[in-house]
Amino acid sequence: MSLASYAARRVALGLVQVLAVVTLVFLVVQALPGDAAVALAGDNPDPARIAQIRAAMDLDRPAPERFLEWLIALPRLDFGVSLVSGRPVADFLFGGIGPTLLLAALTLALLVPISVLVGVLAALREGSLLDRALTSISVALHSIPEFALAVVLIAVFGVQLTWLPPTAVGADLLAQPAVLVLPLVVLLARPICSISRLVRAGMVDALASDYVRHARRLGLGETRVRFAHALPNALAPAVQQVARTTDWLLGGVIVVEAVFVIPGLGTVLVDAVAARDLPVVQGLAVVFAVTTVTVNLLADLVAFRLAPRAEVVA
Amino acid sequence: MRRAGIGGLLIAVPLALALLGPLFVPEQQNRRAPFLPQGLLGTDFVGRDAWYQVLAGGQTVVLVALIATLASYLAGVPYGVLAATTRSRLVDELLMRPLDVLLAVPSLLVLILVAAIAGQGLPVLVGVVTLVNFPDVARLSRAAALEISGRPALEAMRMQGESWWQTSIVYTGRSMLRTLAADVGVRLTAALYLVASASFLGVGVPPDAADWAVMVDRNRGGLFLQPLTVVVPALLIVALSVGLNLVFDRALRKVRT
Repeated sequence: MSLASYAARRVALGLVQVLAVVTLVFLVVQALPGDAAVALAGDNPDPARIAQIRAAMDLDRPAPERFLEWLIALPRLDFGVSLVSGRPVADFLFGGIGPTLLLAALTLALLVPISVLVGVLAALREGSLLDRALTSISVALHSIPEFALAVVLIAVFGVQLTWLPPTAVGADLLAQPAVLVLPLVVLLARPICSISRLVRAGMVDALASDYVRHARRLGLGETRVRFAHALPNALAPAVQQVARTTDWLLGGVIVVEAVFVIPGLGTVLVDAVAARDLPVVQGLAVVFAVTTVTVNLLADLVAFRLAPRAEVVA
Repeated sequence: MRRAGIGGLLIAVPLALALLGPLFVPEQQNRRAPFLPQGLLGTDFVGRDAWYQVLAGGQTVVLVALIATLASYLAGVPYGVLAATTRSRLVDELLMRPLDVLLAVPSLLVLILVAAIAGQGLPVLVGVVTLVNFPDVARLSRAAALEISGRPALEAMRMQGESWWQTSIVYTGRSMLRTLAADVGVRLTAALYLVASASFLGVGVPPDAADWAVMVDRNRGGLFLQPLTVVVPALLIVALSVGLNLVFDRALRKVRT
């Protein structure tokens, strides 16, 4: 299959996924007990007042009609209006996206080189101390809840040793990079383990393969064999795992933002759920779903390009 | 060998506290001011003795993770086997495609959304964690059952006219056990991770519940006064998670070799 036709199929699947998730989110939010009007009426649940709020927010119109309207407005980045503050949902999203993107981008920027480096080093010295230490540590750290790790690190480095600020309250993330150290360490702990292990496994396989033996027989330099021939094939599974970690990363970001008090999308989500601000929750769910699907799509395309023969799940 | 020893020790402490701890909590507890240096670990954010909270708080984390893992297998394995053994391609697609959608949504988002609809309570937490874990189990069982149903042994059984019960349940089920057993550790740690993270975010449990994850969240305000009220429950969760991983990893190696 050529890259173009694979890409076309993959994009079509991605669109269907996004549409399905968006529909699902709308239905789920519809199912929330006591709609927004009841929540807004608060301590004074006067039926006339509730009906009035409903009419003002168009909640009295049939659900399919509202769904279509909401769906058509989405490509224009019009997510509706927050129930609690009356501000457009897009404002919340743009307000929170900065810190979250910064965290995610920094994590990825550190994650990829570090895990590839560690994985390749471990593979080149198979059975060495580094290799064994890497395996043990990555087995142990896999799936530690971020908040537990974060709190322990805060207690040690923020409270006892006072080397680093314990939270990011009121800090400008870019002006004071010290506040980002602990969140990044927490976010990196799990993915570094899983990805460097995959790179290691892929590299060990690749170095033992026929084409590497053939390249050596041709007299190519060892560096070239390792990095131009073995490494791309070893990276293909790791690239897809990087995409899968965006799921983790997102969950991790929600938790890490809560622990370190960073005003990002995760904080917006937690606040919106607590306040029953449904349009905001819907908007966030759309953003998260589109991000996850897009990242997975890109990763599949990169993996396809790196190792076109490999069977890629479409 | 040595790693499993460490893993066993790491599990034993939190597990013993979680299962036996509630027995040692006195009925009558008097409340004091928050974050006082009294008792073993001091007092918590509402003035309860933090040590008794630690004793009482492991049960929910461990039980919810166990029950949710069990439930996701009870739902996922028949689902996957059904998709694999059905003769109609359409049924297979209808069963498996919706799972792709579920897998496309970040698990913590699913958890927060569903818990927001269904309200609080441990059954809700069990249900959501099951829902999040279930697609993976279903996919794995389908893949395992597909491989088995193509085996010559099964074709021979079919030709001999063995009953559906014999071929699908007894033979396929027995052959799948190994694949599933290898996966239990991953599922259990994933469930533990989700339960703890959800409780920490205040999803599914009341805000003053005796629960290690809730303790970590609530007592954070006193991190400078009584750091132990936060660090001890956090360390117990870390120990449980690390220990589970080490023990299951070792068991897996033993099976493979």
